[in-house]
Amino acid sequence: MKLEQVVESLLFLSPEPVGTAELAEACEATEAEVDRALDLLGTALADRGVVLREVAGGWTLASHPDAEEEARRLLAKPKTPPLTQAQAETLAIVAYLQPVSRPEIARIRGVSSESAIQTLTERGLIEEAGRSRFGAVIHRTTPLFERLFGLSGLDALPDPARFDPTPEDEAELRERLLTAGEQRTD
Amino acid sequence: MRPAELDLDLDVFAGPFDLLMTVVLREEVALAEVELGEIVIAYLEHVEEQGELDLEAATEFLVLIASLLELKSRLLLPAAEEEELQMAPEEAAEELLARLLEYRRYRDAAAHLAELFAAGRRYHYRSAPLPPVLRRVALDAARPAYDPDLLAASIGDLLRVPPKPDTSHIRPTVSLEKRLRVLRELLRSRRPLDFDESFGSEDKLTQAVTLFALLEMHKRGEATWEQDALFGRITIEAR
Repeated sequence: MKLEQVVESLLFLSPEPVGTAELAEACEATEAEVDRALDLLGTALADRGVVLREVAGGWTLASHPDAEEEARRLLAKPKTPPLTQAQAETLAIVAYLQPVSRPEIARIRGVSSESAIQTLTERGLIEEAGRSRFGAVIHRTTPLFERLFGLSGLDALPDPARFDPTPEDEAELRERLLTAGEQRTD
Repeated sequence: MRPAELDLDLDVFAGPFDLLMTVVLREEVALAEVELGEIVIAYLEHVEEQGELDLEAATEFLVLIASLLELKSRLLLPAAEEEELQMAPEEAAEELLARLLEYRRYRDAAAHLAELFAAGRRYHYRSAPLPPVLRRVALDAARPAYDPDLLAASIGDLLRVPPKPDTSHIRPTVSLEKRLRVLRELLRSRRPLDFDESFGSEDKLTQAVTLFALLEMHKRGEATWEQDALFGRITIEAR
């Protein structure tokens, strides 16, 4: 049997994403060989109902996104609700600054984020990661977060500098804030 | 300025910075002109229409409007009366700007994550557990390595809960009065005192009570103390 077929079998069996090193060890092959096999497998699956994904630091098979409706009907899975903006902001802060404490999240958002943190924890996207030196609970993201967001790892998050405003935007904001400050009541 | 003209749907804002940024970036509205009271009234009407009070939403609104009030008042308060405490408007605006920009970075990162999530949640992963024969440790396949009776006899005592040790003879040995006396003694020379130098070798409880004693002396005006930075040196001086 060809290596890509063996790899396909192993991924079919594994409930969790499997790393290249683990696959190489199981197949008694080199990681380079496994990488090539994964490439071939990905190509072979191009017009099939199963897709190969690299998530949470490993490889796994998933159902095709176009079969989502049918999959949910078959398995009676409710559609996962989208994130609210408060949840998304909280998650973004945890993802980029982890491990990060609740007060820090509240400081950046300017509003207490308890309920967003609780919901994200219940949904398994973030978890407690001990306490800071000041005794505040600190949070980090979970492997499930990487899986659900299709991230091969935390380093697959885009550079946060990418979200910084352009110098023009920044100048405009400053201008408007200053104008607001000058229009003080007499 | 009525909120109707502002056309703010309060439910959609994720926090005071979000609301503030929207207000500030709106061409026709200057922050100074935004009547926050009107926003409160609009919210109360909104609550009345709904007929029931969502405690969580109401709490978030309170926090939001309070923060907004604080931010706005910083921009608007006349500087003359509280010269020392009042920041220059430029300074206040710069501080606000820094916080807004920091917030904005994560708001936009959040939008990106929400997109990833929307794309990612269409994939479903296999959720079946491994067949038992392939599990690394299958309970059915486990065989006892030791005879259970022999094992129980050997480690049985370890499983028993020992009686609680009697601690009634231990009393706290650090009293506030004693630490006050030590501090006063040390400060009698009128030379400034370094906290770590004087008490660094004491145990934590003693250090803590000494700090309480210091608070007490500060309250009574017997001593002052300074600490320039977080975890920096504490210098104590008699007054």
